[in-house]
Amino acid sequence: MALLTEQDNITAVGKIRTVRSRNFALTVPALLLLVVFFILPVVALLLRSVMEPELGLDNYRALLGSTTYLKIFLNTFSVSALVTVVTLAIGFPVAWALAIMPSRWASIVFAILLLSMWTNLLTRTYAWMVLLQRTGVINKTLMGLGLISEPLPLVNNLVGVTIGMTYIMLPFIILPLYGVIRKIDPAILQAAALCGATRWQALTRILIPLATPGMVSGALMVFVMSLGYFVTPALLGGTANMMLAELIAQFVQSLVNWGMGGAAALVLLVVTLTLYAVQLRLFGTARMEGR
Amino acid sequence: MLLNFDRLGGWKWILIGITGLTAAFLILPIVFIAALSFGSSQWLIFPPPAWTLKWYEAFFADPRWLEAAGTSFSIAAMVTVLSVLIGLVASFGLVRGRFIGKEGLRALFLTPMILPVVVLAVALYAFFLRIGLNGTVTGFVIAHLVVALPFSILSITNALEGFDKSIEDAAVLCGASPLEAKLRITLPSISHGLFSAAVFSFLTSWDEVVLAIFMASPTLQTLPVKIWSTLRQDLTPVIAAASTLLIVVTIALMLLVALLRKGLKS
Repeated sequence: MALLTEQDNITAVGKIRTVRSRNFALTVPALLLLVVFFILPVVALLLRSVMEPELGLDNYRALLGSTTYLKIFLNTFSVSALVTVVTLAIGFPVAWALAIMPSRWASIVFAILLLSMWTNLLTRTYAWMVLLQRTGVINKTLMGLGLISEPLPLVNNLVGVTIGMTYIMLPFIILPLYGVIRKIDPAILQAAALCGATRWQALTRILIPLATPGMVSGALMVFVMSLGYFVTPALLGGTANMMLAELIAQFVQSLVNWGMGGAAALVLLVVTLTLYAVQLRLFGTARMEGR
Repeated sequence: MLLNFDRLGGWKWILIGITGLTAAFLILPIVFIAALSFGSSQWLIFPPPAWTLKWYEAFFADPRWLEAAGTSFSIAAMVTVLSVLIGLVASFGLVRGRFIGKEGLRALFLTPMILPVVVLAVALYAFFLRIGLNGTVTGFVIAHLVVALPFSILSITNALEGFDKSIEDAAVLCGASPLEAKLRITLPSISHGLFSAAVFSFLTSWDEVVLAIFMASPTLQTLPVKIWSTLRQDLTPVIAAASTLLIVVTIALMLLVALLRKGLKS
């Protein structure tokens, strides 16, 4: 290549600079997409909650003043809380084991985790519908073992939703918690042992407190994701334990009541964004995914 | 002590037990569905009385299943291309740009990930009713693009931040045009980011149910919508066959990603 002259260099540097100053324009296509097909439709939906059928807060009064809807809110919160507690109780020992077990075993468990995470959501829910039904494998096995004489009602109720949601949420708590436990220095626990701490003391006074930020962050994420879940509760839950996302869909699809639908959406949105802000405040970063 | 596997004593077996049971809990439903799709029982009895391929025959004989799979694939393919292109361009702006509100913009681009999908689905459904995009391929692609784009932007900005900009500048100083330098130096260097953006975008669209339920019409539905509407009627083993095919696609994509990661390392 020929040597560049001083003048060539200056124009080249100039080229780099102009490209930099133009960079905002590059984000415009993505920004347009989000404004037109995300922000504006959501804002329009929320506005309908105070404009339909007439201007005012009537929809919110109806939503928050009725015991039917309050029961749905309560149910949404309690199912999400239950799922969070169960995933945490299973997720902590699993993440702990993964962090210290021989890497060959751990990689098998990781492969299973990823496979279950990547498998189609409906496929996973369908699998649980089949397994948990009256004539399903689980009831058949329990009856075969003589543990029960009548099939247990495992679907279309709280048990079904909890099992199905726990199944989906487990990877979301195990993976981040694994990262947190991996970073704990084993020497701290060795020091505790040298000072005479029992295993139990080391667990409750050192390991759990050190893993707490990871547990809180993971639990918040699972809780928020569960609040807005639609598919799994709709298929595995009963009509008696409807959740908020289903209520929103029902207002819009079956009742064609956009005002109430918008109001319920706002409630879900406010709770989600508040918890998300808490997460950001406490931990700086957050990654969530709601379906 | 507690972080040393060999010195856990009896606790080691408790941890192994819980982990083993959890792994079984996570893998068993997938294994059962795959096994039941070859079972002859209409009521999905396990173990099946006999083995058969009739559910796969039923799947491939029904044009509605195939059509739905085709629709899913073409929508996911369009979403992938658009998501990677728009995400790539936006990532350049976010990583290289110097403008006010850049961090806010980046956070804004990721919000579709945290918003409950049902809210977006209802909002877009209302909007599309007005402009006549419900039940159209365009409507599906736009809806899925909104939720796929954050994954693209996340993967590509990560890759771009790990790339040393001075290499691209060097190419420009050596006489390449800025565009040429980007196409021939930068893009190949961030190809792993582009690849994961493509895989995530594809899977996001391919697996998406909630938006699809709202966007679908009797004449246009994706595979998840077809599974959803069939599921609401009965648990026919044809769904098990369709699910097993989806699982095979998932495993194939996972292996592809794993192989490419290995290829990149060596």
